[in-house]
Amino acid sequence: MSVLVTDRAPERLPVPPRRRSPRALAAGGAVIAVLVALHVAAWLGTGMDLAMLADGWHGMVRFVSEAFPPDLSWDPVVKDGLHACLVTLWIGLLGTTLSIPFTIVLCALGSRAVNGNAVVYQAARGVMSFLRAVPDVVFALIFVTAVGLGPFAGVLALICNNTGVMGKLWSEAMEEVDDGPAQALRIAGAGRAQLVAHAVLPACVPQLVGLVLYRLDVNVRASLVLGLFAPGASGSSSTSRSRSSGSTRCSPTS
Amino acid sequence: MTANALTVRGLRKSFGGRTVLSGFDLDVAPGEVVALLGANGSGKSTALKCVVGLVRPDAGSAGVFGADLLDGSRAAERARTRVAMVFQQIHLVRRRTALDNVCAGALGRLPLRRSWAPAAFPRDLREEAMACLDRVGLADRAHERVAALSGGQQQRVALARTLCQRAGVLLADEPVSALDPSAAENVMSVMTDLARTESIAVAAVLHQPDLARRHADRLVGLRGGRIAFAGPAAEVSQEQVSSLYAVDVEVPA
Repeated sequence: MSVLVTDRAPERLPVPPRRRSPRALAAGGAVIAVLVALHVAAWLGTGMDLAMLADGWHGMVRFVSEAFPPDLSWDPVVKDGLHACLVTLWIGLLGTTLSIPFTIVLCALGSRAVNGNAVVYQAARGVMSFLRAVPDVVFALIFVTAVGLGPFAGVLALICNNTGVMGKLWSEAMEEVDDGPAQALRIAGAGRAQLVAHAVLPACVPQLVGLVLYRLDVNVRASLVLGLFAPGASGSSSTSRSRSSGSTRCSPTS
Repeated sequence: MTANALTVRGLRKSFGGRTVLSGFDLDVAPGEVVALLGANGSGKSTALKCVVGLVRPDAGSAGVFGADLLDGSRAAERARTRVAMVFQQIHLVRRRTALDNVCAGALGRLPLRRSWAPAAFPRDLREEAMACLDRVGLADRAHERVAALSGGQQQRVALARTLCQRAGVLLADEPVSALDPSAAENVMSVMTDLARTESIAVAAVLHQPDLARRHADRLVGLRGGRIAFAGPAAEVSQEQVSSLYAVDVEVPA
């Protein structure tokens, strides 16, 4: 037995009550009340009804069971499905990569670290917000009128949407960088562009690359929806099948 | 008349009605090391930040080699590149190599087409930077990432960067506060050696009075934003230094 162990109980002190100001309590209560009210309104507004789900469960079972056993005939099901998957992947890949140059420009103009002109800064931020606010499906509809139905319209739509989203993510990553090294180089006489090249970017390149990979992940999935406008992509093949035959066959990505 | 490298006159600064610095004068000759001593909040760091333009003083002037630093002109911008600073937090780019960090000290005199990336740095700059690293004893670590170096080595890389900046004045804001005693001693030795051999005027904020006595030529004590004493290290008494850190010192509002 250790010599350090003694029979004496450790000394205790009463914990003094923590004073909370009535105003803070009231504010907390008000926030909770508002949040509850919003969720109740949302519940009613979306027609949430668990009884309906319980009654109709066999519909789901029938729908899912129709996918079994999957129709694995090579032509037209699996071959077309694989081709559609590939097109989906290509849309996501091009949409992500081709948006990078635009992202860099908007990011540079919309970052306080790079751009000192307040008007240009606000304009760049505005363009990014606009590109984010418009759903990619709407962009696709617009581009279809120019280039017709096809994966190309999907790529163009993704470029627009991804430029807005990634521009925001990148400029936030750049603004989170510790400004100490930049301060040290500013004292040494470095200009804005030099500060970005030698203090900001080296500190945040890993985050920027990580964000690109995350956006690629999201965009490949988004291109499934855009495939609705693109005969040949997996989005279109799964919807046309379920509409025409009334049953879902194996469609690998949907 | 001996030309001072750094001249500071009547610097005053207050934050939100609280005066942190008033009537601050400082002269540092080339090759001289001056230590600024004082308790936390006594205005030492603020004084340095005013000189390099990180903080805008309410009144007063600062100049290097006769050129004004604070009048906001183009000439002041140019003069400012003759002042370098090292920090307690070191502030190197941790993902870059020691050599690239040292090269970055020269950014102020490089056009963008030679400085948009480390790969664009001219060869003679890389060679100059190697020599700077050699001066602080780290030539063999040139291609290592800064993050892989110890705190003392990182601070020596930061000193090499100020050499590569070709600064005539070096301001050090608690350069050794984050280092262990032997690394602190080592960094201070390198810094005073650079001051002597390269004729750099050094003003260093220090929190270790004995370290300041060993390495500095002159001591300047600050209390409540005012200069309490200033003089050659040998002439400043132990009591004068202790009085800076006395517990009952009231910081005037």
